Amino acid sequence: MGRILSSITDGKGFDIIMVGVTMAFLFALAGVPLVYNVVMSFQQVDMFNLNTFSRPFVGFDNYVAVVNQPEFWLIIRNTAIFVFGSITGQFALGFALALFFMIKFPFAATIRGLFLVSWVMPGLVVGALWGWILAGDFGVLNAILKAVGLTERTLFWKSDPNLAIWAVTMANIWLGLAFNMMLLSVGLAGIPRDLYEAAELDGANSWQRFTTITLPMMRATIGAVLALGLIYTLQQFDLFPAITEGGPANSSNVAQYWAWQWSFVLFDFAKGATVSVMMLVFVLVASIIYVWSTRHEVRG
Amino acid sequence: MTRIPTPKIFLVLALGLAALYLFPLYWMYATSLKGASEIFANPPTFWPRDPDFSIFAATWERRNMGTFLWNSLVIATGVTSLTVLLGTGCAYVLARYRSGWIDVGLFLILMLQVLPASTMVTPLYVGFNQLGLLSFPRTAVVLAAAAKAIPFYIVLVRATFMSVPRELEEAALVDGNSRWGAFFFIVLPLARNGILVLAILTFMQAFGEYIYSKSIITTQSLQPASVGLSGFLGPNSTDWNGIMAYAAIYVTPIVLVFVILQRRIVAGLTSGALK
Repeated sequence: MGRILSSITDGKGFDIIMVGVTMAFLFALAGVPLVYNVVMSFQQVDMFNLNTFSRPFVGFDNYVAVVNQPEFWLIIRNTAIFVFGSITGQFALGFALALFFMIKFPFAATIRGLFLVSWVMPGLVVGALWGWILAGDFGVLNAILKAVGLTERTLFWKSDPNLAIWAVTMANIWLGLAFNMMLLSVGLAGIPRDLYEAAELDGANSWQRFTTITLPMMRATIGAVLALGLIYTLQQFDLFPAITEGGPANSSNVAQYWAWQWSFVLFDFAKGATVSVMMLVFVLVASIIYVWSTRHEVRG
Repeated sequence: MTRIPTPKIFLVLALGLAALYLFPLYWMYATSLKGASEIFANPPTFWPRDPDFSIFAATWERRNMGTFLWNSLVIATGVTSLTVLLGTGCAYVLARYRSGWIDVGLFLILMLQVLPASTMVTPLYVGFNQLGLLSFPRTAVVLAAAAKAIPFYIVLVRATFMSVPRELEEAALVDGNSRWGAFFFIVLPLARNGILVLAILTFMQAFGEYIYSKSIITTQSLQPASVGLSGFLGPNSTDWNGIMAYAAIYVTPIVLVFVILQRRIVAGLTSGALK
Protein backbone atom coordinates (compact mmCIF):
# COMPACT_ATOMS: atom_id res chain seq x y z
CA MET A 1 0.00 0.00 0.00
CA GLY A 2 2.78 2.36 1.02
CA ARG A 3 4.65 1.55 -2.16
CA ILE A 4 1.66 2.37 -4.35
CA LEU A 5 1.15 5.63 -2.49
CA SER A 6 4.74 6.71 -2.88
CA SER A 7 4.66 5.75 -6.53
CA ILE A 8 1.68 8.06 -6.95
CA THR A 9 3.43 10.97 -5.24
CA ASP A 10 6.90 10.36 -6.58
CA GLY A 11 7.14 7.87 -9.39
CA LYS A 12 5.51 6.36 -12.42
CA GLY A 13 2.12 6.32 -10.67
CA PHE A 14 1.94 10.09 -11.09
CA ASP A 15 2.34 9.83 -14.85
CA ILE A 16 -0.05 6.93 -15.15
CA ILE A 17 -2.82 8.77 -13.29
CA MET A 18 -2.31 11.95 -15.32
CA VAL A 19 -2.51 10.16 -18.66
CA GLY A 20 -4.85 7.37 -17.58
CA VAL A 21 -7.78 9.49 -16.41
CA THR A 22 -7.75 11.55 -19.61
CA MET A 23 -7.35 8.51 -21.82
CA ALA A 24 -10.24 6.78 -20.05
CA PHE A 25 -12.44 9.83 -20.62
CA LEU A 26 -11.50 10.03 -24.30
CA PHE A 27 -11.97 6.30 -24.67
CA ALA A 28 -15.49 6.48 -23.22
CA LEU A 29 -16.58 9.55 -25.20
CA ALA A 30 -14.72 9.12 -28.47
CA GLY A 31 -13.40 5.57 -28.73
CA VAL A 32 -16.57 3.77 -27.70
CA PRO A 33 -18.85 5.96 -29.87
CA LEU A 34 -16.54 5.29 -32.79
CA VAL A 35 -17.02 1.53 -32.42
CA TYR A 36 -20.72 1.97 -31.68
CA ASN A 37 -21.02 3.85 -34.96
CA VAL A 38 -19.73 0.82 -36.86
CA VAL A 39 -21.95 -1.54 -34.86
CA MET A 40 -25.08 0.52 -35.54
CA SER A 41 -24.34 0.64 -39.26
CA PHE A 42 -24.93 -3.14 -39.29
CA GLN A 43 -28.12 -2.99 -37.24
CA GLN A 44 -31.69 -2.01 -37.78
CA VAL A 45 -32.32 0.92 -35.45
CA ASP A 46 -35.76 2.46 -35.07
CA MET A 47 -37.74 4.35 -32.46
CA PHE A 48 -38.85 1.11 -30.79
CA ASN A 49 -35.46 -0.48 -30.19
CA LEU A 50 -33.54 2.79 -29.73
CA ASN A 51 -33.38 2.23 -25.99
CA THR A 52 -32.45 -1.44 -25.99
CA PHE A 53 -29.19 -3.13 -26.79
CA SER A 54 -30.68 -6.06 -28.70
CA ARG A 55 -31.30 -4.93 -32.23
CA PRO A 56 -31.65 -7.05 -35.34
CA PHE A 57 -28.43 -7.55 -37.30
CA VAL A 58 -28.97 -6.68 -40.94
CA GLY A 59 -25.54 -7.15 -42.50
CA PHE A 60 -24.77 -4.70 -45.28
CA ASP A 61 -28.43 -3.75 -45.85
CA ASN A 62 -27.88 -0.20 -44.60
CA TYR A 63 -24.92 0.30 -46.90
CA VAL A 64 -26.86 -1.04 -49.88
CA ALA A 65 -29.82 1.19 -49.03
CA VAL A 66 -27.66 4.29 -48.66
CA VAL A 67 -25.83 3.73 -51.95
CA ASN A 68 -29.14 3.14 -53.72
CA GLN A 69 -30.61 6.44 -52.59
CA PRO A 70 -31.29 8.60 -55.67
CA GLU A 71 -29.36 11.50 -54.12
CA PHE A 72 -26.29 9.40 -53.21
CA TRP A 73 -24.11 10.32 -56.22
CA LEU A 74 -25.22 13.94 -56.11
CA ILE A 75 -24.05 14.14 -52.51
CA ILE A 76 -20.72 12.48 -53.33
CA ARG A 77 -20.24 14.97 -56.14
CA ASN A 78 -21.14 17.91 -53.86
CA THR A 79 -18.82 16.68 -51.12
CA ALA A 80 -16.01 16.42 -53.67
CA ILE A 81 -16.70 19.97 -54.95
CA PHE A 82 -16.90 21.31 -51.42
CA VAL A 83 -13.71 19.58 -50.26
CA PHE A 84 -11.54 20.28 -53.31
CA GLY A 85 -12.95 23.75 -53.90
CA SER A 86 -12.40 24.73 -50.29
CA ILE A 87 -8.91 23.27 -50.04
CA THR A 88 -7.78 24.79 -53.34
CA GLY A 89 -9.17 28.22 -52.49
CA GLN A 90 -7.95 28.25 -48.90
CA PHE A 91 -4.52 26.99 -49.81
CA ALA A 92 -3.91 29.23 -52.83
CA LEU A 93 -5.12 32.42 -51.13
CA GLY A 94 -3.56 31.42 -47.81
CA PHE A 95 -0.18 30.78 -49.43
CA ALA A 96 -0.31 34.05 -51.35
CA LEU A 97 -1.09 35.98 -48.17
CA ALA A 98 1.55 34.12 -46.17
CA LEU A 99 4.17 35.03 -48.78
CA PHE A 100 2.96 38.62 -48.82
CA PHE A 101 3.24 38.95 -45.04
CA MET A 102 6.83 37.65 -45.10
CA ILE A 103 7.78 41.04 -46.56
CA LYS A 104 9.12 43.33 -43.84
CA PHE A 105 6.88 46.34 -43.21
CA PRO A 106 5.51 47.97 -40.06
CA PHE A 107 2.72 46.09 -38.22
CA ALA A 108 2.95 43.09 -40.56
CA ALA A 109 2.47 40.57 -37.73
CA THR A 110 -0.40 42.50 -36.16
CA ILE A 111 -2.33 42.89 -39.40
CA ARG A 112 -1.73 39.24 -40.24
CA GLY A 113 -3.13 38.27 -36.84
CA LEU A 114 -6.39 40.12 -37.59
CA PHE A 115 -7.20 37.57 -40.28
CA LEU A 116 -7.52 34.87 -37.65
CA VAL A 117 -10.65 36.45 -36.19
CA SER A 118 -12.78 34.36 -38.53
CA TRP A 119 -11.41 31.28 -36.84
CA VAL A 120 -12.77 32.12 -33.39
CA MET A 121 -16.22 33.19 -34.60
CA PRO A 122 -19.12 30.77 -34.09
CA GLY A 123 -19.75 28.84 -37.32
CA LEU A 124 -23.43 29.75 -37.22
CA VAL A 125 -22.59 33.46 -37.16
CA VAL A 126 -20.22 33.07 -40.12
CA GLY A 127 -23.00 31.23 -41.91
CA ALA A 128 -25.45 34.02 -41.12
CA LEU A 129 -23.05 36.70 -42.43
CA TRP A 130 -22.48 34.85 -45.69
CA GLY A 131 -26.13 33.94 -46.03
CA TRP A 132 -26.87 37.66 -46.07
CA ILE A 133 -23.95 38.63 -48.32
CA LEU A 134 -24.99 35.96 -50.82
CA ALA A 135 -28.72 36.76 -50.75
CA GLY A 136 -30.13 36.91 -54.29
CA ASP A 137 -32.04 40.17 -54.64
CA PHE A 138 -30.55 42.26 -51.86
CA GLY A 139 -27.19 40.62 -51.24
CA VAL A 140 -24.14 42.84 -51.34
CA LEU A 141 -22.09 40.40 -53.43
CA ASN A 142 -24.50 40.65 -56.34
CA ALA A 143 -24.52 44.42 -56.02
CA ILE A 144 -20.71 44.49 -56.16
CA LEU A 145 -20.55 42.06 -59.09
CA LYS A 146 -23.05 44.14 -61.02
CA ALA A 147 -21.31 47.42 -60.20
CA VAL A 148 -17.98 46.02 -61.41
CA GLY A 149 -19.73 44.71 -64.51
CA LEU A 150 -18.93 41.03 -63.99
CA THR A 151 -22.54 39.97 -64.32
CA GLU A 152 -25.72 41.46 -65.74
CA ARG A 153 -28.28 39.18 -64.18
CA THR A 154 -28.96 38.51 -60.51
CA LEU A 155 -27.23 35.35 -59.34
CA PHE A 156 -29.34 33.38 -56.89
CA TRP A 157 -26.44 31.89 -54.93
CA LYS A 158 -28.56 30.04 -52.41
CA SER A 159 -31.52 28.91 -54.48
CA ASP A 160 -29.93 28.10 -57.86
CA PRO A 161 -29.10 24.36 -57.82
CA ASN A 162 -25.96 25.02 -59.89
CA LEU A 163 -24.62 27.63 -57.52
CA ALA A 164 -25.72 26.57 -54.04
CA ILE A 165 -22.76 24.30 -53.27
CA TRP A 166 -20.38 27.02 -54.48
CA ALA A 167 -22.02 29.51 -52.16
CA VAL A 168 -21.20 27.36 -49.13
CA THR A 169 -17.73 26.64 -50.51
CA MET A 170 -17.06 30.35 -50.80
CA ALA A 171 -18.04 30.92 -47.19
CA ASN A 172 -15.82 28.03 -46.14
CA ILE A 173 -12.85 29.41 -48.06
CA TRP A 174 -13.24 32.67 -46.14
CA LEU A 175 -13.41 30.73 -42.89
CA GLY A 176 -10.42 28.46 -43.48
CA LEU A 177 -8.17 30.90 -45.32
CA ALA A 178 -6.69 32.44 -42.18
CA PHE A 179 -5.79 29.12 -40.60
CA ASN A 180 -4.01 28.00 -43.78
CA MET A 181 -2.13 31.28 -43.90
CA MET A 182 -1.01 30.96 -40.27
CA LEU A 183 0.34 27.43 -40.66
CA LEU A 184 2.09 28.30 -43.92
CA SER A 185 3.61 31.42 -42.32
CA VAL A 186 5.10 29.23 -39.58
CA GLY A 187 6.62 27.03 -42.26
CA LEU A 188 7.98 30.00 -44.23
CA ALA A 189 9.52 31.51 -41.11
CA GLY A 190 11.41 28.26 -40.55
CA ILE A 191 13.36 28.48 -43.82
CA PRO A 192 16.88 29.81 -43.13
CA ARG A 193 17.39 33.31 -44.59
CA ASP A 194 20.93 32.59 -45.82
CA LEU A 195 19.61 30.06 -48.33
CA TYR A 196 17.87 32.92 -50.13
CA GLU A 197 20.91 35.17 -49.85
CA ALA A 198 23.17 32.50 -51.31
CA ALA A 199 20.72 31.90 -54.18
CA GLU A 200 20.50 35.64 -54.83
CA LEU A 201 24.30 35.88 -55.03
CA ASP A 202 24.22 33.03 -57.53
CA GLY A 203 21.86 35.10 -59.63
CA ALA A 204 18.57 33.23 -59.07
CA ASN A 205 15.50 35.39 -59.74
CA SER A 206 12.58 35.41 -57.33
CA TRP A 207 10.60 32.79 -59.25
CA GLN A 208 13.63 30.46 -59.26
CA ARG A 209 14.12 31.06 -55.55
CA PHE A 210 10.47 30.21 -54.95
CA THR A 211 10.54 26.94 -56.90
CA THR A 212 13.99 25.74 -55.82
CA ILE A 213 14.05 26.85 -52.18
CA THR A 214 10.59 27.74 -50.85
CA LEU A 215 8.61 24.86 -52.31
CA PRO A 216 11.06 22.02 -51.50
CA MET A 217 11.67 23.37 -47.98
CA MET A 218 7.93 23.65 -47.41
CA ARG A 219 7.09 20.11 -48.53
CA ALA A 220 6.29 18.77 -45.05
CA THR A 221 4.31 21.87 -44.11
CA ILE A 222 2.33 21.81 -47.34
CA GLY A 223 1.50 18.12 -46.84
CA ALA A 224 0.30 18.80 -43.32
CA VAL A 225 -1.73 21.86 -44.34
CA LEU A 226 -3.46 20.03 -47.19
CA ALA A 227 -4.25 17.01 -45.01
CA LEU A 228 -5.54 19.27 -42.23
CA GLY A 229 -7.56 21.11 -44.87
CA LEU A 230 -9.26 17.87 -45.86
CA ILE A 231 -9.90 16.99 -42.21
CA TYR A 232 -11.31 20.39 -41.30
CA THR A 233 -13.39 20.64 -44.47
CA LEU A 234 -15.05 17.33 -43.69
CA GLN A 235 -15.66 18.61 -40.15
CA GLN A 236 -17.36 21.76 -41.43
CA PHE A 237 -21.03 21.48 -40.56
CA ASP A 238 -22.38 24.78 -39.24
CA LEU A 239 -22.34 26.60 -42.59
CA PHE A 240 -24.84 24.19 -44.14
CA PRO A 241 -27.78 24.69 -41.79
CA ALA A 242 -27.05 28.41 -41.75
CA ILE A 243 -26.80 29.06 -45.49
CA THR A 244 -28.70 26.51 -47.60
CA GLU A 245 -29.86 23.64 -45.35
CA GLY A 246 -28.48 21.36 -48.08
CA GLY A 247 -31.05 22.59 -50.57
CA PRO A 248 -32.52 23.23 -52.99
CA ALA A 249 -33.30 19.53 -53.53
CA ASN A 250 -29.98 18.32 -52.06
CA SER A 251 -28.01 20.36 -54.59
CA SER A 252 -25.78 21.67 -51.82
CA ASN A 253 -25.99 18.68 -49.49
CA VAL A 254 -22.72 17.03 -48.43
CA ALA A 255 -21.90 13.79 -46.59
CA GLN A 256 -21.50 15.33 -43.14
CA TYR A 257 -24.84 17.16 -43.32
CA TRP A 258 -26.57 14.15 -44.91
CA ALA A 259 -25.40 11.89 -42.06
CA TRP A 260 -26.89 14.31 -39.56
CA GLN A 261 -30.16 14.58 -41.51
CA TRP A 262 -30.59 10.80 -41.52
CA SER A 263 -30.30 10.69 -37.74
CA PHE A 264 -31.93 13.90 -36.59
CA VAL A 265 -34.42 14.79 -39.32
CA LEU A 266 -35.50 11.32 -40.48
CA PHE A 267 -34.63 9.59 -37.18
CA ASP A 268 -33.05 6.67 -39.05
CA PHE A 269 -30.01 6.38 -36.81
CA ALA A 270 -28.65 3.28 -38.55
CA LYS A 271 -28.41 5.11 -41.90
CA GLY A 272 -26.88 8.10 -40.16
CA ALA A 273 -24.26 5.80 -38.66
CA THR A 274 -23.70 4.19 -42.06
CA VAL A 275 -22.97 7.48 -43.82
CA SER A 276 -20.73 8.44 -40.87
CA VAL A 277 -18.69 5.25 -41.16
CA MET A 278 -18.24 5.82 -44.89
CA MET A 279 -16.98 9.31 -44.17
CA LEU A 280 -14.68 8.20 -41.38
CA VAL A 281 -12.77 6.02 -43.82
CA PHE A 282 -11.83 9.15 -45.78
CA VAL A 283 -10.98 11.08 -42.64
CA LEU A 284 -8.71 8.29 -41.42
CA VAL A 285 -6.82 8.22 -44.72
CA ALA A 286 -6.32 11.98 -44.45
CA SER A 287 -5.13 11.74 -40.87
CA ILE A 288 -2.61 9.07 -41.73
CA ILE A 289 -1.18 11.44 -44.35
CA TYR A 290 -1.21 14.21 -41.77
CA VAL A 291 0.51 12.19 -39.04
CA TRP A 292 3.01 10.90 -41.59
CA SER A 293 3.91 14.37 -42.81
CA THR A 294 4.36 15.66 -39.23
CA ARG A 295 6.06 12.58 -37.82
CA HIS A 296 9.35 14.41 -37.28
CA GLU A 297 7.65 17.05 -35.19
CA VAL A 298 5.72 14.46 -33.19
CA ARG A 299 8.93 12.79 -32.17
CA GLY A 300 10.16 16.24 -31.12
CA MET B 1 10.55 63.69 -57.23
CA THR B 2 9.84 62.20 -53.85
CA ARG B 3 9.92 58.44 -53.52
CA ILE B 4 7.38 56.82 -51.22
CA PRO B 5 9.31 54.34 -49.08
CA THR B 6 8.38 50.77 -50.10
CA PRO B 7 7.39 49.50 -46.63
CA LYS B 8 4.61 52.12 -46.56
CA ILE B 9 3.16 50.85 -49.83
CA PHE B 10 3.07 47.36 -48.40
CA LEU B 11 1.48 48.64 -45.21
CA VAL B 12 -1.29 50.31 -47.21
CA LEU B 13 -1.72 47.17 -49.31
CA ALA B 14 -1.89 45.01 -46.17
CA LEU B 15 -4.50 47.28 -44.61
CA GLY B 16 -6.51 47.05 -47.83
CA LEU B 17 -6.37 43.26 -47.79
CA ALA B 18 -7.38 43.15 -44.12
CA ALA B 19 -10.29 45.50 -44.80
CA LEU B 20 -11.42 43.32 -47.69
CA TYR B 21 -11.16 40.21 -45.55
CA LEU B 22 -13.00 41.72 -42.60
CA PHE B 23 -15.74 43.23 -44.77
CA PRO B 24 -18.30 40.54 -43.74
CA LEU B 25 -17.83 41.62 -40.14
CA TYR B 26 -18.34 45.28 -41.04
CA TRP B 27 -21.39 44.36 -43.08
CA MET B 28 -22.91 42.61 -40.07
CA TYR B 29 -22.68 45.76 -37.92
CA ALA B 30 -23.77 48.03 -40.78
CA THR B 31 -26.81 45.90 -41.62
CA SER B 32 -27.90 45.60 -38.00
CA LEU B 33 -28.08 49.39 -37.77
CA LYS B 34 -30.18 49.82 -40.91
CA GLY B 35 -33.94 50.18 -40.88
CA ALA B 36 -36.27 47.50 -42.23
CA SER B 37 -36.64 49.26 -45.59
CA GLU B 38 -33.01 50.29 -45.97
CA ILE B 39 -31.73 46.70 -45.87
CA PHE B 40 -33.64 46.06 -49.10
CA ALA B 41 -32.32 49.17 -50.85
CA ASN B 42 -30.90 48.53 -54.30
CA PRO B 43 -27.99 49.19 -54.59
CA PRO B 44 -27.25 48.65 -50.88
CA THR B 45 -26.09 51.65 -48.88
CA PHE B 46 -22.53 51.21 -47.68
CA TRP B 47 -23.01 53.36 -44.59
CA PRO B 48 -26.34 53.14 -42.68
CA ARG B 49 -28.38 56.25 -43.51
CA ASP B 50 -29.75 56.77 -40.07
CA PRO B 51 -28.35 54.21 -37.65
CA ASP B 52 -30.90 52.87 -35.18
CA PHE B 53 -29.26 51.45 -32.07
CA SER B 54 -32.53 50.43 -30.43
CA ILE B 55 -32.49 47.23 -32.50
CA PHE B 56 -30.00 45.63 -30.12
CA ALA B 57 -32.25 45.97 -27.08
CA ALA B 58 -35.28 44.95 -29.13
CA THR B 59 -33.59 41.84 -30.53
CA TRP B 60 -32.25 40.90 -27.09
CA GLU B 61 -35.79 41.08 -25.74
CA ARG B 62 -37.63 39.51 -28.66
CA ARG B 63 -35.22 36.60 -29.23
CA ASN B 64 -34.84 35.84 -25.56
CA MET B 65 -31.09 36.25 -25.90
CA GLY B 66 -30.46 36.44 -22.15
CA THR B 67 -31.41 32.80 -21.68
CA PHE B 68 -29.61 31.63 -24.82
CA LEU B 69 -26.36 33.42 -23.97
CA TRP B 70 -26.52 32.18 -20.38
CA ASN B 71 -26.74 28.61 -21.67
CA SER B 72 -23.82 29.22 -24.03
CA LEU B 73 -21.86 30.53 -21.05
CA VAL B 74 -22.74 27.48 -18.93
CA ILE B 75 -21.77 25.05 -21.69
CA ALA B 76 -18.55 26.88 -22.57
CA THR B 77 -17.52 27.10 -18.90
CA GLY B 78 -18.19 23.40 -18.42
CA VAL B 79 -16.27 22.40 -21.53
CA THR B 80 -13.32 24.64 -20.65
CA SER B 81 -13.09 23.43 -17.03
CA LEU B 82 -13.25 19.80 -18.04
CA THR B 83 -10.72 20.30 -20.84
CA VAL B 84 -8.19 22.14 -18.68
CA LEU B 85 -8.65 19.68 -15.81
CA LEU B 86 -8.18 16.58 -17.93
CA GLY B 87 -5.92 17.94 -20.64
CA THR B 88 -3.19 19.78 -18.73
CA GLY B 89 -1.71 16.87 -16.77
CA CYS B 90 -1.89 14.57 -19.74
CA ALA B 91 -0.16 17.10 -22.00
CA TYR B 92 2.56 17.54 -19.38
CA VAL B 93 3.35 13.82 -19.15
CA LEU B 94 3.30 13.50 -22.93
CA ALA B 95 5.79 16.36 -23.15
CA ARG B 96 8.13 14.98 -20.47
CA TYR B 97 8.99 11.58 -21.87
CA ARG B 98 9.98 10.09 -25.16
CA SER B 99 9.17 6.43 -25.66
CA GLY B 100 7.15 4.10 -27.80
CA TRP B 101 4.19 4.33 -25.46
CA ILE B 102 4.17 8.12 -25.56
CA ASP B 103 4.20 7.98 -29.36
CA VAL B 104 1.25 5.61 -29.34
CA GLY B 105 -0.64 7.91 -26.97
CA LEU B 106 0.10 10.95 -29.11
CA PHE B 107 -0.92 9.10 -32.24
CA LEU B 108 -4.26 8.11 -30.68
CA ILE B 109 -4.88 11.70 -29.58
CA LEU B 110 -4.05 13.04 -33.04
CA MET B 111 -6.49 10.53 -34.49
CA LEU B 112 -9.26 11.58 -32.09
CA GLN B 113 -8.69 15.19 -33.07
CA VAL B 114 -9.81 14.50 -36.61
CA LEU B 115 -13.17 12.81 -36.01
CA PRO B 116 -15.92 15.08 -37.39
CA ALA B 117 -18.56 15.99 -34.83
CA SER B 118 -21.24 15.26 -37.42
CA THR B 119 -20.20 11.60 -37.50
CA MET B 120 -19.85 11.28 -33.72
CA VAL B 121 -23.18 12.86 -32.85
CA THR B 122 -25.26 9.83 -33.91
CA PRO B 123 -23.61 7.23 -31.62
CA LEU B 124 -23.26 9.78 -28.82
CA TYR B 125 -26.95 10.65 -28.98
CA VAL B 126 -28.06 7.01 -29.04
CA GLY B 127 -25.62 6.10 -26.26
CA PHE B 128 -26.62 9.06 -24.07
CA ASN B 129 -30.24 8.10 -24.63
CA GLN B 130 -29.57 4.57 -23.41
CA LEU B 131 -27.70 5.84 -20.35
CA GLY B 132 -30.46 8.33 -19.52
CA LEU B 133 -28.08 11.27 -19.93
CA LEU B 134 -30.50 13.06 -22.23
CA SER B 135 -32.44 14.19 -19.15
CA PHE B 136 -29.41 16.37 -18.40
CA PRO B 137 -28.90 17.72 -21.90
CA ARG B 138 -26.41 20.49 -21.10
CA THR B 139 -24.19 18.05 -19.18
CA ALA B 140 -24.38 15.68 -22.13
CA VAL B 141 -23.30 18.44 -24.51
CA VAL B 142 -20.44 19.43 -22.19
CA LEU B 143 -19.17 15.82 -22.12
CA ALA B 144 -19.43 15.42 -25.90
CA ALA B 145 -17.85 18.80 -26.70
CA ALA B 146 -15.05 18.32 -24.16
CA ALA B 147 -14.12 15.02 -25.80
CA LYS B 148 -13.80 17.01 -29.03
CA ALA B 149 -11.80 19.85 -27.47
CA ILE B 150 -9.35 17.85 -25.33
CA PRO B 151 -7.19 16.32 -28.09
CA PHE B 152 -6.64 19.72 -29.70
CA TYR B 153 -5.87 21.27 -26.29
CA ILE B 154 -3.38 18.50 -25.41
CA VAL B 155 -1.48 18.85 -28.68
CA LEU B 156 -1.01 22.60 -28.22
CA VAL B 157 -0.41 22.66 -24.46
CA ARG B 158 2.15 19.90 -24.88
CA ALA B 159 4.13 22.29 -27.08
CA THR B 160 4.05 24.84 -24.23
CA PHE B 161 5.35 22.30 -21.71
CA MET B 162 8.16 21.30 -24.08
CA SER B 163 9.55 24.81 -23.69
CA VAL B 164 9.72 24.62 -19.86
CA PRO B 165 13.32 23.72 -18.96
CA ARG B 166 13.56 20.32 -17.39
CA GLU B 167 16.38 21.36 -15.06
CA LEU B 168 14.08 23.61 -13.03
CA GLU B 169 11.82 20.69 -12.28
CA GLU B 170 14.71 18.40 -11.41
CA ALA B 171 16.06 21.00 -9.03
CA ALA B 172 12.70 21.10 -7.28
CA LEU B 173 12.70 17.31 -6.95
CA VAL B 174 16.21 17.37 -5.49
CA ASP B 175 15.03 20.00 -3.01
CA GLY B 176 12.53 17.48 -1.68
CA ASN B 177 9.37 18.31 -3.62
CA SER B 178 7.09 15.47 -4.63
CA ARG B 179 6.17 15.09 -8.30
CA TRP B 180 2.90 16.86 -7.51
CA GLY B 181 4.70 19.70 -5.79
CA ALA B 182 7.10 20.14 -8.71
CA PHE B 183 4.21 20.03 -11.16
CA PHE B 184 1.94 22.49 -9.36
CA PHE B 185 4.50 24.96 -8.01
CA ILE B 186 7.23 24.93 -10.66
CA VAL B 187 5.99 23.69 -14.02
CA LEU B 188 2.41 25.01 -14.04
CA PRO B 189 3.33 28.61 -13.16
CA LEU B 190 5.94 28.60 -15.93
CA ALA B 191 3.46 27.31 -18.50
CA ARG B 192 0.65 29.54 -17.21
CA ASN B 193 0.47 31.87 -20.20
CA GLY B 194 0.21 29.13 -22.77
CA ILE B 195 -2.42 27.28 -20.78
CA LEU B 196 -4.43 30.47 -20.30
CA VAL B 197 -4.44 31.29 -24.01
CA LEU B 198 -5.53 27.78 -24.94
CA ALA B 199 -8.21 27.76 -22.25
CA ILE B 200 -9.57 30.99 -23.73
CA LEU B 201 -9.48 29.50 -27.22
CA THR B 202 -11.30 26.40 -25.97
CA PHE B 203 -13.87 28.65 -24.32
CA MET B 204 -14.46 30.64 -27.50
CA GLN B 205 -14.87 27.50 -29.58
CA ALA B 206 -17.30 26.01 -27.06
CA PHE B 207 -19.20 29.30 -26.92
CA GLY B 208 -20.05 28.83 -30.60
CA GLU B 209 -20.69 25.08 -30.41
CA TYR B 210 -23.68 24.12 -32.54
CA ILE B 211 -24.09 20.55 -33.73
CA TYR B 212 -24.12 18.72 -30.37
CA SER B 213 -26.42 21.31 -28.79
CA LYS B 214 -28.78 21.29 -31.76
CA SER B 215 -29.02 17.48 -31.71
CA ILE B 216 -29.07 16.81 -27.97
CA ILE B 217 -30.86 19.78 -26.36
CA THR B 218 -34.54 19.86 -27.31
CA THR B 219 -35.82 22.09 -24.49
CA GLN B 220 -35.66 25.65 -25.75
CA SER B 221 -34.87 27.17 -22.38
CA LEU B 222 -31.66 25.10 -22.19
CA GLN B 223 -30.39 25.79 -25.72
CA PRO B 224 -27.29 27.95 -26.39
CA ALA B 225 -27.18 31.07 -28.57
CA SER B 226 -26.02 29.19 -31.68
CA VAL B 227 -29.18 27.06 -31.67
CA GLY B 228 -31.22 30.17 -30.89
CA LEU B 229 -29.79 31.84 -33.99
CA SER B 230 -30.49 28.82 -36.19
CA GLY B 231 -34.15 29.03 -35.12
CA PHE B 232 -34.75 32.03 -37.35
CA LEU B 233 -31.97 31.60 -39.88
CA GLY B 234 -32.15 29.67 -43.13
CA PRO B 235 -32.28 29.91 -46.90
CA ASN B 236 -35.56 31.85 -46.76
CA SER B 237 -34.79 34.36 -44.00
CA THR B 238 -35.92 37.94 -44.50
CA ASP B 239 -35.46 39.49 -41.06
CA TRP B 240 -31.85 40.34 -41.92
CA ASN B 241 -31.31 43.32 -39.66
CA GLY B 242 -32.65 41.27 -36.74
CA ILE B 243 -30.37 38.35 -37.60
CA MET B 244 -27.37 40.65 -37.93
CA ALA B 245 -28.19 42.35 -34.63
CA TYR B 246 -28.39 38.93 -32.94
CA ALA B 247 -25.11 37.90 -34.58
CA ALA B 248 -23.47 41.17 -33.52
CA ILE B 249 -24.50 40.78 -29.88
CA TYR B 250 -23.34 37.16 -29.93
CA VAL B 251 -19.99 37.72 -31.59
CA THR B 252 -18.84 41.11 -30.26
CA PRO B 253 -17.50 39.81 -26.91
CA ILE B 254 -15.54 37.11 -28.75
CA VAL B 255 -14.12 39.59 -31.25
CA LEU B 256 -13.13 41.97 -28.44
CA VAL B 257 -11.32 39.26 -26.48
CA PHE B 258 -9.63 38.18 -29.67
CA VAL B 259 -8.42 41.67 -30.56
CA ILE B 260 -7.10 42.26 -27.02
CA LEU B 261 -5.27 38.92 -26.83
CA GLN B 262 -4.49 38.65 -30.53
CA ARG B 263 -0.72 38.43 -30.24
CA ARG B 264 -0.80 35.72 -27.59
CA ILE B 265 -3.51 33.72 -29.31
CA VAL B 266 -1.61 33.67 -32.58
CA ALA B 267 1.63 32.73 -30.79
CA GLY B 268 -0.10 29.99 -28.80
CA LEU B 269 -1.68 28.55 -31.90
CA THR B 270 1.36 28.62 -34.13
CA SER B 271 3.83 27.29 -31.56
CA GLY B 272 2.34 23.85 -31.67
CA ALA B 273 -0.11 23.93 -34.52
CA LEU B 274 1.91 21.59 -36.69
CA LYS B 275 3.04 19.25 -33.95
